[in-house]
Amino acid sequence: MPPRPRPVDPPTEVIPRVEDDYDDDEYYDDEPAAKDALPPDSMARKTVRGFGEALITMGLIVLLFVVYEVYVTDLLSAEKQQDATAALDSEWNSNVVTPPPADPNRQSKLNLIEGKAFAKMYIPVFGNDWKFSVVEGTTDKHLEIGPGHYKDTAQPGEAGNFSIAGHRVGKGAPFNDLDLLESCNAVVVQTQTQWFVYRVLPMSSEVGGWATNPKAKEAACTGVAPLSTTLGDAYSKTVGQEIVVPTQGEVIAPIPHQVGAAVPADKQARLLTLTTCHPRFSDKQRLIVHAIETKSYPVADGFVPPEMTEG
Amino acid sequence: MYGWIWRHLPGPLYLRVIEAVVLVVAIVGLLMFVVFPWAEPKLPFNNVTTQ
Repeated sequence: MPPRPRPVDPPTEVIPRVEDDYDDDEYYDDEPAAKDALPPDSMARKTVRGFGEALITMGLIVLLFVVYEVYVTDLLSAEKQQDATAALDSEWNSNVVTPPPADPNRQSKLNLIEGKAFAKMYIPVFGNDWKFSVVEGTTDKHLEIGPGHYKDTAQPGEAGNFSIAGHRVGKGAPFNDLDLLESCNAVVVQTQTQWFVYRVLPMSSEVGGWATNPKAKEAACTGVAPLSTTLGDAYSKTVGQEIVVPTQGEVIAPIPHQVGAAVPADKQARLLTLTTCHPRFSDKQRLIVHAIETKSYPVADGFVPPEMTEG
Repeated sequence: MYGWIWRHLPGPLYLRVIEAVVLVVAIVGLLMFVVFPWAEPKLPFNNVTTQ
């Protein structure tokens, strides 16, 4: 058999080299051969690349800022809160004070110094570990330490409005979950000589049907009722929770929303008001929680108010 | 920018990697402890008081 003719190879087609537009010399940094093949950097390329890198860098900085805001400030504030608590503890342990006067209307005034802690605050429904030392003053510096007491508002247990501001995000975020407080939840404030139990007032949706609301019969709600029914119309706007704009400073007035107070000081309720930012991560509005004092106890060795175990 | 920095780091590869890490850590530290604490009060995120 004669050998079969081999198929004829077609002539090799010469395909011209594809010139690409990629300008990624960093990618090929370790391969000089590839780099040499690229056209030299033109001014336009450099500009576009620089612009892109600047955008990436800015994105990274913004991400880092979120990390800072949400985590790093927590660490920094935790330390300051610890120092403030330690200072408060040593102050409470060192100076012996006379027990509070028997008449609760005539209690000794606390000597409040800006930036120093003067009371401890507990919200049992947030868990045993939710406790903060409250400092005097509400500037940024003060609020880094912990919740801050608005200067010139009432003191704990006083008639009027004991008002406290706190961060909702970062810096220890004491008031992170303030929106979760329900009516009758306890907020306990401890000073050197006394415990004060405040309870969140009925929400605006509960005010109308409070008398028939089964919740009102619960033990936790003893002493809690819509203030408009117990104290009159001056308190009609004082409910458990409200959301206001930042300029509405009247929420911390002795009678909330009544700046020219029509009720004499000795007839004012003993309120607690907590303020924080709203919505979370924004300062567009303020979340406000109002509570009323329902009980107080003298501080005694080994005594913890029963309200502390609620939740 | 990043390419330029990389090309200008001295030393062999392993040393350059270490230098780059040190640079990144230094810049992050500068941001976290100097720049952000300064800038933060000027930004509208975390005001909690009423006026």
